[in-house]
Order: sequence, then C-alpha cells, then structure tokens
Amino acid sequence: MTANKLSKRDTFKVYINWIMYSLSCQNMERMEAPAFSRIMGLVADKLYDKEEDKQELLLRHAQFFNTEPLIGSIIPGIVLGMEEKKSCGEDIPDELISSIKTALMGPFAGIGDSLMAGTLVPILLSIALGLSKDTGSLAGPIFYVITYLGIMLPLTWFLFRKGYTAGINSAEMILGGGKKDLITRAANIVGLMVIGAISAQYVSANVGLGYTSGDMAISIAPVLDGIFPSLVPLLLTLLSWFLLDKKKMNIGWIFLIFIIISVACSVTGILVP
Amino acid sequence: MSLFQAFLIALIGYSSSIYGPWFLGLMGGWYTIGRPLIAGTIIGIILGDIQTGILIGAAIQALYIGLVTPGLSMPGDVNFAAYIGIPLAIVSGATPEYAVSLSVPLSFLGVAFVYLVVTVNVLFVHKQEQWIESGKLGLATKVPIIGNITQFIVRFFPILLANYYGAAYVSKLVNIIPESLGNIFIVLGGMLPAVGFGLLLKFIMKDNIELLYFLFGFVLIAVFKISIIPATIIALLFAYLDIKYNKSFSKEGVA
Repeated sequence: MTANKLSKRDTFKVYINWIMYSLSCQNMERMEAPAFSRIMGLVADKLYDKEEDKQELLLRHAQFFNTEPLIGSIIPGIVLGMEEKKSCGEDIPDELISSIKTALMGPFAGIGDSLMAGTLVPILLSIALGLSKDTGSLAGPIFYVITYLGIMLPLTWFLFRKGYTAGINSAEMILGGGKKDLITRAANIVGLMVIGAISAQYVSANVGLGYTSGDMAISIAPVLDGIFPSLVPLLLTLLSWFLLDKKKMNIGWIFLIFIIISVACSVTGILVP
Repeated sequence: MSLFQAFLIALIGYSSSIYGPWFLGLMGGWYTIGRPLIAGTIIGIILGDIQTGILIGAAIQALYIGLVTPGLSMPGDVNFAAYIGIPLAIVSGATPEYAVSLSVPLSFLGVAFVYLVVTVNVLFVHKQEQWIESGKLGLATKVPIIGNITQFIVRFFPILLANYYGAAYVSKLVNIIPESLGNIFIVLGGMLPAVGFGLLLKFIMKDNIELLYFLFGFVLIAVFKISIIPATIIALLFAYLDIKYNKSFSKEGVA
C-alpha cells in the first residue's frame, strides 16, 4: 500500500467545501460540476507535482454531475479516495472514475430527496410547528435547528469519510483482484443507463404547437407522446452528443445553437414552458 | 422598516436561498434558516417582535411543509415567501394569511429567477474550463464563489427593495421580467441539460452500439415511468449479465 498523500485535515477541507459550494454555481448545463472541480482543485497540489496532471484532474471533474449534495456527500468521498490512489501511481482509468460518479449520482439523489428532504425535514418541522404554532414559543425553532443540524452534520461527515475509505479500498480491491476491465465495463453500462434515465428526468421541452380546424382543436404534444414519450428531449440530447462527439464541435457553438433554438421555438410557440 | 433592518433581512434571505453557500450550503442555509419557521424567528429578532415572527413563520411553514426540491423543479418560491412575506406582514400588523397572499405573486418571479440564474451560470462553467485549460487553476477553483454573484443579485436586491419600499413595491417587482422573456429562459433552461448529458455520453461511450444502454435507461423513465433507484437496479442486472456471458473477457479482455 502506498503512503497516503492526504491528511484527515485535507479530507475535512474537501468535505466542508463540498457542503458549502455544491450548489453555489448551479447551472443547467453541468449542474454541480463547478463545485466538484473546485474541491479537486483544493487538493491538486497535494496529489500531483506536474501542472498537466493537475489540469487533467480538474478537467476530469468539470463534467456533468448532479446529486442531492448532503446524503450524496458520499460520492465526492469515494472519488477523492480513488483520485488519491490514482495519483499514487495506481492504474485507475479516468473513465472508471467518471462512470462510478455517474452511476451513483442518480440513486443518491433519489435517496437524499426522499429520505432527507421528503421525510426527515417534514417530520422535524411538524414537531417544531406543534411546539410553536399557537404560542409563538421559541421551543419549536430551537428544537428544529438542534435536531436537524445534530443529525445532518455528523451524518454527512460520516458518509463522506466512509466514501473516502471505500474509494481507497475499492482501488485496491479492483486492481488487486485483476478485475479492472470487468469493473470498468460494468460501471460503464450502469453509467450509460443512468445517463439515459436522468436525461429523461432533467431535459424538458414541451411542444405547444397545435391547430384548430373548425370546432376541432388538435394539439401536437399528445400525438408525439403517442409515438414516443419525451421524444423532443431525447432528440435534443442525441443532437448535442452527435455534434460534440461526431462533429467535434466546440461546446460554445452548441450552446449558441441551443439558445437560437429556444428563442426561435419560444417566440413561435413551438415550445412552451 | 429601516434601511438597516431591510439590509439585514436581505442578506440573510440571500444566504438562505437554495444556492447560497455561506451557512454550510443547503444544510445551514436552505434547510435551516431557509425554512419559514426559522426565518420568522430571525426576522422577528431583527424587527423586535419575536413572537409575531414565529407565529407568521409557522403559518407559512405549514403551507410549505412538504416542499421537496428534486433537481430544479420548484413548486413555489419559499425564499421570497419567507423573507418578503413575513417582514411585510409583521410591520403592517397583518395576519399570516396576508403574508401568504403577498408571497403568491412573488412565486412566479422567484421561479423565473431560478431559471435565469442556472442559465446565466453556464457562462461560468465555460470560463472555469477555459481557466483550467490555460493553467489558471487557482481562478478555476474559485468559480463556485465568483459564480454565486448571480444568485446574490436576484435574491438580495428584490428582498431589500420589497422590504424597504413596502408592499406597494411588490407588484412593481413582479412585473420586472416580461412574460415572453421569462418563457424563453424556462424553455432554454429545460433544454440545456441535454448539452451536459451529450458531453457525458461522449466521455463514457466507446462504441456507438452502446447508445442502446442509454436509450434503454431513457425508455425506463420516459415510457415506463419507474423511478431512478429501480432503474439503477435494472442497470446493475444488465451489467452483471454482460460480464457473466461476455466470452471476450476470458480471452482478450475489454479495452
């Protein structure tokens, strides 16, 4: 086992920065990627000596990433562990790290939204409301702040640390057993299917087009849905992949194309909010 | 309300909005001081009437108790409801219902602002990538801090102005963004994730035929309407079957 390059203090810095900045530059194109790139940038100097390696590390994590940031803090933990091992010279392919991130972000978004935002928060708030609703007493707010932060602060740090250890161990497990190709392939398949699944969730385009003929109003949206639900979002995703991968088009141009499409379609009413 | 009080409320209101980083991000911000009950308490302290603050906060909280914000869908803008609705209700001596009614017209504005922010922030993503490529890693690392300026602008100033100038100003605020422009941003905002997924596909996919896996994942959600965790379990099954029955592994491996 190679020596660890990161101290517990370093991992804490990464954790705190993830918790703070995960959504601070939230954007429609890559969502939480700026924050992921930031937390890797914070430890880049510790992991690598050469500038090119640091640049590659940051670029690797400037890709689309989106999850529920609190429960999902386990993912930057895992990735940090794997990146540390990789920087120690272990043969961990870039795409394995990307696939694992992609494969995990969907499930943890689901778990975080349903268990934390959908269950824990409403339960604690209901109790707090019971304490304060009629009296205006401070007991309710104090109860909520203490229980919520009392649960979430240790829990998110625990998940992050567990992820970090798992990331380091998984690197050894994968490489030690000679199963690297197998696991890369498996992570790839899961990753691709999850990208498909979350594309269907996040990309949206509502067709508003229709026409009236006498008394009969026909709208196009149900017809399209009859052929294939969410057809337009699918085509948009494939278009962007095609232009990026097959036409080697610069991302700036694709962005411009999407702006033009949305202005044109919005003004003419082809697409509606 | 004094300018100083409005300033404090606007500052805390911005910090407690969904993308405000300064109170441990979502944890201390959105999910703690961003909850109307806690917001009411803080606003009550600033305006010198804690009990009324908590009572109005509790009434608004009861409305928004089930508010879950998966991805970017925003059923209502709890941030403006809390940090504009509650203070204006306290100073006018009105009922909690008044605070709620104030927050309703602001809701549309709040949702339009969310889409505006996540669209404009795409510029920062590209800036970050440029900075990484040209070796300015320090700057690239600061992008999440620099990029928060958009969130500051659309949260701090509306809350400050609405609180300082009062309820009459709220309707002016709501008309800031013409509907057609708001529509364009929402349409664009809905389409832009496609670019991020296109990039990911380019990064992960090695063989065009693997597009089938992507399509299958898409169909599971779009057509069969199952949720993401069952979809992942199915994906795991496919990965397992692929490895189990893929003869090439024993001979040459998959590069």
